[in-house]
Amino acid sequence: MSENTLTVLVADDDVTNRLLLEAILHKEGYDVIHAEDGREAVEVFERERPDLVLMDIRMPELDGYQATELIKAMSGDVFVPVIFLTANSDVDSMVRSVESGGDDFLAKPYNRIQLQTRINALMRIRELYSTVRQQRNELIQHQKRLERERQMAKRLFANIIHTGSLDQPNIKYLLSPMSLFSGDILLAAPKPSGGLHVILGDFTGHGLAAATGALPVSSIFYGMTAKGYSIAEIVTEINTRLKTILPVDMFLAACLIDIDTTTHTLTAWNGGLPPLVVYDARQLTVSQRIPSQHLPLGIIDGESFSRRVEVVGIQQGDRIYICSDGVLETQNQQGEMFGRDRFNALFEAGLAPQELFDTILGQLSEFQAGSLQQDDVTLLEICYDQTLLEQRTGTLEEEESGRGRISAAPASWGMSLTLSAGLLKDLDPLPLLIQALMDLQGFCGQRQQLYTVFSELYSNALEHGLLGLDSSLKANARGFVEYYQTREQRLAVLSEGEIRIDIRHQPEAGGGRLIIDVEDTGDGFDVDSALLPLTENLGHAGRGIQLLRSICDEVTFQGKGNRVQVVYRWQ
Amino acid sequence: MPVTSTVSADGKEVIIKVTGRFDFAVQNEFRDCYHGVGPDDGVRFSIDMSKASYMDSSALGMLLMMREHLGGNSANITISHCSADISNILTVANFQSLFKIA
Repeated sequence: MSENTLTVLVADDDVTNRLLLEAILHKEGYDVIHAEDGREAVEVFERERPDLVLMDIRMPELDGYQATELIKAMSGDVFVPVIFLTANSDVDSMVRSVESGGDDFLAKPYNRIQLQTRINALMRIRELYSTVRQQRNELIQHQKRLERERQMAKRLFANIIHTGSLDQPNIKYLLSPMSLFSGDILLAAPKPSGGLHVILGDFTGHGLAAATGALPVSSIFYGMTAKGYSIAEIVTEINTRLKTILPVDMFLAACLIDIDTTTHTLTAWNGGLPPLVVYDARQLTVSQRIPSQHLPLGIIDGESFSRRVEVVGIQQGDRIYICSDGVLETQNQQGEMFGRDRFNALFEAGLAPQELFDTILGQLSEFQAGSLQQDDVTLLEICYDQTLLEQRTGTLEEEESGRGRISAAPASWGMSLTLSAGLLKDLDPLPLLIQALMDLQGFCGQRQQLYTVFSELYSNALEHGLLGLDSSLKANARGFVEYYQTREQRLAVLSEGEIRIDIRHQPEAGGGRLIIDVEDTGDGFDVDSALLPLTENLGHAGRGIQLLRSICDEVTFQGKGNRVQVVYRWQ
Repeated sequence: MPVTSTVSADGKEVIIKVTGRFDFAVQNEFRDCYHGVGPDDGVRFSIDMSKASYMDSSALGMLLMMREHLGGNSANITISHCSADISNILTVANFQSLFKIA
């Protein structure tokens, strides 16, 4: 209690009584104010705000009960004890005292010790009351501030971890976070060369800590995908970053996939998530399971980290499923888990592909039957629909953000680049090359087209020129997988040869033309067979050159087919 | 006690036995089992999971903390007697590349 002297209001119409009380109270060191009837008591109280009231019951104007009711109403949530002064302690008057808000009684004649004891007790309660009130107010303030901060962080988080290109008719997903911030992340972004990158990840733990880890993952994933990096490179970068920032006992179990509509392949890296499932839309059965083959992200250093990916062929209408372990760990009311067996059985019932997703959700919620959710649950289905995947509804991250970079007016320039075998083995030069071009000239909105052009030219030179791969292998999905496996094997042991890229830019009104020469040291290839019209190509092979012709003004092969020149006009 | 530990007579091996759910609730008890040992003490650790009913990702995190504390790559930790479910959790996370799983 503060050391300030307490002020006591004595309300009594009897002068003798009042003086007696005042004398006792003065002696005890209190300041005393007084009122001669109930109405005056209320007025004095309102004006002086005493710490305690001694109230006679029978008074003119307002009696003690009425005055007490008014005083209690006035004091709001501040506790001002009222002690009734009473000659007789009959039950009726006691009940009325309590009903009107009185806190104690003091019987006449007054006893000094008794008075002092009552006052002390009530003052202790008053002190406690005031502490509680203060703490409650602090708590309310704190809670309001926290809620404001959480809401703001949630908006910020939602902007950074936006789901990207997930809102398309061929993609279905369930994201049910346990708390405001989810420990699961699900992101998708179109590739500049067509197709889609997706990451589904599950951080150890939930809430704010897990969500914070999602921020760098999101920026690396969107940024590198837009620049044309492969998932092997993206996953390596995410691992390095998370290893640096995450505490030892926190990691990200994740699956990254690359769906490629040019090659009809699914490339996946799975570290710590349940197996990815590919459901064959024709056979109505699981055609592929890609189990976790790596440690989750953020556990080991770059040196021992494995970026090895799995490549499988997929066909129109096939469904791809990825889920967080929260799906398998969904519990029923008996505490039993949904488990792998029940999950796998869902794919073995020969269901039509379009029914699967809803069936899975239905079975999960039926199993759970209202019991509490234990973990973040995320489930994703992607239908391999070539047309939908190629229609790029979402634009690339970089263009969306419109970073307002000042770009140079179209000018005349040129650059050339020689890539030796040793370099090609470990590095995909395309993202770097495209980035350099974008920085140099600022080909606004041209990144995807440029990427496609360079990607076709480069893979042509590398795969056919230097690695000697035969594109007729790609006539069907199985051959495609073999083709890419052979590509990896040959690239790993590539020891000689080089690719030369020569780029010249000439300004034109409102744009310019890029003349691109790509030459490799290989044996060249049979140009004519690769020039069948698109309609005669069943989609797996030889689309590259046709694609180039559709984008570029001129495509000419020179030498023995190991040198190609294209002219690309832009506005 | 959900987590108990016994030390061999020569003091060179600690056996940690986890009973029931291996999750965040037992983190302090689990940590106490190895906290007094340093990476250079040459102590082998064996985690007996025969009585563990379940483990979650926070338990995986606890194992990583332990490994780090005992010297990372040089830590000598064996996880033994895993049930099929626990074995699956460890395999999915590829923990066999960090721990000896017996």
